[in-house]
Amino acid sequence: MARRLCSGNRMVAEGALAAGCRFFAGYPITPASEIYEVMIRELPARGGMALSAPDEISSLCYCVGASLRGLKAMTATSGPGWALMIETLQYALMTETPVVIAVVQRLGPSTGGATQGAQGDVWLAEFATSGGYTIPVFSPSTAAECHDLTVHAFNWSERLRTPVVLLSDKEVGMTTEVVDDVLAPPSVVERAGFSGGRPFLTYGFTQPEEVPAFAAVGGEVKVAVTGSAHDQQGRLRKNAPEVIEVLRHLERKIEAHAETMALVRPDLDPGAPHLVISYGITARAARQAVAALRREGVRVSLLQPQTLFPIPRRALDGALAGVRTVFVAEENLTGQYRAVLAPRFGGKRVVGINKIGALIAPGEIIQAVHTAEA
Amino acid sequence: MAESQYLAPDAKLPYCRGCGHAPVVRQLSRALARLQLPPRSVALTTDIGCVGLADSLFPFLHTVHTTHGRSTAFATGMALAEVVLEPSGLKPVVMIGDGGAMIGLLHLVHAAQLNVDVTVLLHNNFLFGMTGGQHSALTPLSFTTATTPGGNWTPPLDLVALLRAAHAGFLARQFATDTTLDAVIAEAIAYPGFALVEILELCTAYGTRWNQLTGSALKEIVARQGYQIGRLDAETARPTLRELYRRERPSRPARAAAPTADQPTALSTLAQEVRLVVAGSAGERVQSAAALFCRAALAAGLFTTQKNDNPVTQGTGFSLAEICLSPNPIEYTGMENPDVVIIASGDGLKELQANGTLARCRAETLLLVDAELDLPALQGRVLRLALRRAASPEHAALAGLAAWLALSSVLPPAAWEAALASLPPERRADPSEALQISQRLVKDLG
Repeated sequence: MARRLCSGNRMVAEGALAAGCRFFAGYPITPASEIYEVMIRELPARGGMALSAPDEISSLCYCVGASLRGLKAMTATSGPGWALMIETLQYALMTETPVVIAVVQRLGPSTGGATQGAQGDVWLAEFATSGGYTIPVFSPSTAAECHDLTVHAFNWSERLRTPVVLLSDKEVGMTTEVVDDVLAPPSVVERAGFSGGRPFLTYGFTQPEEVPAFAAVGGEVKVAVTGSAHDQQGRLRKNAPEVIEVLRHLERKIEAHAETMALVRPDLDPGAPHLVISYGITARAARQAVAALRREGVRVSLLQPQTLFPIPRRALDGALAGVRTVFVAEENLTGQYRAVLAPRFGGKRVVGINKIGALIAPGEIIQAVHTAEA
Repeated sequence: MAESQYLAPDAKLPYCRGCGHAPVVRQLSRALARLQLPPRSVALTTDIGCVGLADSLFPFLHTVHTTHGRSTAFATGMALAEVVLEPSGLKPVVMIGDGGAMIGLLHLVHAAQLNVDVTVLLHNNFLFGMTGGQHSALTPLSFTTATTPGGNWTPPLDLVALLRAAHAGFLARQFATDTTLDAVIAEAIAYPGFALVEILELCTAYGTRWNQLTGSALKEIVARQGYQIGRLDAETARPTLRELYRRERPSRPARAAAPTADQPTALSTLAQEVRLVVAGSAGERVQSAAALFCRAALAAGLFTTQKNDNPVTQGTGFSLAEICLSPNPIEYTGMENPDVVIIASGDGLKELQANGTLARCRAETLLLVDAELDLPALQGRVLRLALRRAASPEHAALAGLAAWLALSSVLPPAAWEAALASLPPERRADPSEALQISQRLVKDLG
């Protein structure tokens, strides 16, 4: 098998190209800049538009505008830029506009540590909307996962007409590693276009979980886009029950696909008393720790959610069955994902393995399991 | 196409009596009729505020009602997409107020710089109307608003002048009541790049209520601010963005960016993982030496990871790379206990002290250190090599890595040859020489 050396960031860009991305607007920020640079170098030659925006707000607005016009679009940033994009993320959600945002996490808060890794933006990625709507979030742990999860991010964004976050981090993004040359990416999904036969409604659905057929601004049928509370026609309405139906639909269409969107890497030992849950960069340490523990004869399972949100409930509940102690390893201070999963842990003992400013080492996970065994 | 193809004939305009927004809406409809634009080729993009009510009045146009100040940016996105699509003739037209213009100022500036095909109708009534008459960045001096009860004391922004500085291709300033406004709007829309028409009007809910205004109030404000009315100086002859992008965009990737794949050439005998740190000075090819080394490891069928670090300024101080080598896929990439440490310069030494790497060395750690450096007491086996003197500072890091290979023989020479062959021919000679030098240095160690 031919192999090559690639960074996670490079693989995000290649995944985007494989997914049919035709529009990229970016603004420099460590540790995400490489995605921006690769797209600027490679997208125009493939017939797409890649350009530099004057700030992160503009980056995402340009992407949303281009997506409304019908192009698959992406931007890439890190915590400080993501903070600026949240207004437009909400607009994309409300207007049911597909767009992918690659957030390459670094140490926060604020400008924090530009060249230090972190997994501290889980809450900021997911709980970024007024009303608390579910934003699909995918989290890669390797360069190869960066590629495939970017394709998935585009696919779900297009299929569900919703913004999707690819939540990477500095260590995954900027580390060069060996990648198989030929990756078989997931098959590419196109957004379902309006095919006529009935009057077009910009936000039309019969059942709340349905995804409205898309028509591009500039096309044959009139499109009425709005970020304000609206009916299915896209008309601003107050006190109309249909407006509430549209809002419920925004969540329902995500929820209805939660299980098909759920990607996990399970490595389960049925009957093991311990389950380690980890994602992103820390999942790598967890894989190494679990292998070492098993060599010692400790029975332990591992679950790496690649889809962080919607929570992969079925896989999680399956992995939790029969387990006495759950370990959640993540590179943040307060256990952001652990807190989100907590309601599903029932009465099990829960151990958070958390750290900031440096990678969680396999030894720290091993030690936590040993301590729980003692 | 008749005007009724644009503005709904029975449209009830939702504006206060005397508000300037109403005539602008009618004049826009007339302008579109003048141009005979198919309704589906207009994307009416409205901002927040009373101007944002306009989209519902145009049932046949595409309408995009946006967030505050961002209307220009969303319209720019649509127009940018249009550049790489088959031309559909789409014309985004932005309706924005003076409040939105300031919060979204950089979107206006960048749209003008890009010369993107967007027309902005700036409704300047000197205040935020919908929220209760607060002053904006475009409020004239002495003007009374909800938030300037004693009269405005910050001078107003001349947005047109600012956009001229941003190389806007079309600029105009009119009164909302001008009978020729439709013709000016039509010209702006027809212009194939960025166009802005500032339309001066008074808010009858707040502007006229709180200020002693005569019938010629707007003209007095214009005179006081030294504003011109009508078509204004602009860079009309700029190329369109479509022309520019097609001309300037690279027809193929500017650099050979895609890393090429290698089939292993000669397999390494490495049996277990090795972790190396190589540290030197910025500008001395430390990270590119590490990349070449990883390339050789790849050619030898190994797995490898490379992580770089340097000060944020990049061009000064230390430069460092952490490398894992393994016969198996690598999971954890941390460097708690390096097996090999290569120190090519004083900057590198200082950083390895500061980041704790040296303190984490163990008795079995091998340190290959430039012979000229003053060393503190170190854990590990230290070998001093004349890396900088023999191989030049620029290749000291590479010589250090090559020296370790000469000592350990983990990479077959053919793997190095393959890595060197991946470099452009003109860049092969020096690394090749550095390799030979390091072999000699190792031999001299005995």
